[in-house]
Amino acid sequence: MNDIHLDVRGVSKIYEGEQGPVHAVSDVSFAVREGEFVSILGPSGCGKSTLMMMIAGLEDITEGAVVERGRPVAGPRTDIGLVFQDATLLPWLSVLDNVLFPIRILKEVRHRYVERAMSLLRMVGLADFADHRPSQLSGGMRQRVAICRALVHDPALLLMDEPFSALDAITRDEMNVALLDIWQKYRKTGIFITHSIREAVLLSDRVLVMTRRPSTVVCDLAMPFGRPRDPRIVESAEFTALCAELRGHIEAGYAAEKALAL
Amino acid sequence: MPVPPAPPFRARRAARRRRQALRLLEQVGLPILVVALGLLAWEALVAHYRIAPSLLPAPSAIYERLRETWPTLLAQAVPTAAETAGSFVLATLAGVALAIVLTYSRLLNSALYPAVVFFQLIPKIALAPLFIVWMGIGSNARLTFAVFIAFFPIVVATMAGLRSTPPDMLRLCRGLTATSWQMFAYVRLPYALPQIFSGMKISVTFAMIGVIVAEFISAQQGLGYLIVFASSQADTALILAAILVLCGVGLAMYALVVAAERLVRRVYAAD
Repeated sequence: MNDIHLDVRGVSKIYEGEQGPVHAVSDVSFAVREGEFVSILGPSGCGKSTLMMMIAGLEDITEGAVVERGRPVAGPRTDIGLVFQDATLLPWLSVLDNVLFPIRILKEVRHRYVERAMSLLRMVGLADFADHRPSQLSGGMRQRVAICRALVHDPALLLMDEPFSALDAITRDEMNVALLDIWQKYRKTGIFITHSIREAVLLSDRVLVMTRRPSTVVCDLAMPFGRPRDPRIVESAEFTALCAELRGHIEAGYAAEKALAL
Repeated sequence: MPVPPAPPFRARRAARRRRQALRLLEQVGLPILVVALGLLAWEALVAHYRIAPSLLPAPSAIYERLRETWPTLLAQAVPTAAETAGSFVLATLAGVALAIVLTYSRLLNSALYPAVVFFQLIPKIALAPLFIVWMGIGSNARLTFAVFIAFFPIVVATMAGLRSTPPDMLRLCRGLTATSWQMFAYVRLPYALPQIFSGMKISVTFAMIGVIVAEFISAQQGLGYLIVFASSQADTALILAAILVLCGVGLAMYALVVAAERLVRRVYAAD
């Protein structure tokens, strides 16, 4: 379990903006072990989505490198599952066909994956909705379908970009519990982008805090909770203390930003 | 004040059915009634003021002329309908193809898109005589002119449709190493279908306008030709009868496009 799955080495992203170069991500370094769930926590506009796109191979890296299992990432690859803020399901496909969409893209034999797709849907409580269209589902259900789709081709790495931030608070709590269950069963390496401190602490093995100026990782904190993880840890004093500590780092980032602006 | 008891279920259902029937009567019956009253007023005015039939024939006279000339009208409708359908199909195929090329090639887009916008904006009808000059008075000139008229709405609508795919959906596909062909066939084209069909609905009426205008100025057959011929004879009843048949042809073509859209929507439902 101690093997390094993903090594982010001094990664920067610089866009050519109209008023000179824009540092979207500045010199970020961290490593993720096999099977580890790491959250990247930060305010909007801190470059965390750009960082995820670089890890996915969907954005060029200006400086530094992302190394996956010893090989530098040079572009998209098939052993990644992606989940976005919006479920991005194809509205004309059934729930089952949406889950099987990666199989179609990867030109695999569909019927070999139907059972796996169904068991994923069963896991998130949507087996009875396999023949429904996405429009017949609630936002939370759609996002659960998107997670099943990200897992159907059994990728080694799951990248999630604020997957629950468009959902209401109650649905969001539900989804957090669902994701803990999924993690317990499928154990991928995961990178989870969020701006919710509680969500990061509840779900992760480690939390990285990113700030806006500079757009870099300022804090790397291991979560002391084991697995399987009981969602009731949110009521513990330890949980509250961790949240407070992370909030401190985020606020320090804001203060630094203000000082820079003056 | 005591609340009156709710009426029994069956009575409520009957009341709802009555309301629905009334609404249907309103939506279908009322427009028919308005048209019928209009025709009656027209008939009465023509009779009362003794308006010359060459100026404005009464509806009954138009109907009479329609019955007399029915075989001729049908025979003349065939080339018009065939040329409209042919030019519409060609315009759709060529328009979708050009839209795909312009969407995928930035260079060609920069080179050609301004011209597309230009032709979309100018009154293309004015160019009809040029097509006759270049291509003669045969069916080819009419077909080409109608394609030219019907083509641009398809290009513009298809391009807008191909751009309407949610960016995250494309990111998801690229993240799975999808080929551009897969992204096009599985995602972008299906997302573009509703807009392509709106373009087709405009284009099918444009194609008919193109054919009629070309027939006005060049044809030896077709409903457009018949209208010009009838006007030279001051046979206004025949003009109006031909226009009625034209309306029928146009509506039928439009209905075909709507039917095709329904079929496609059953597979690629947007919601």
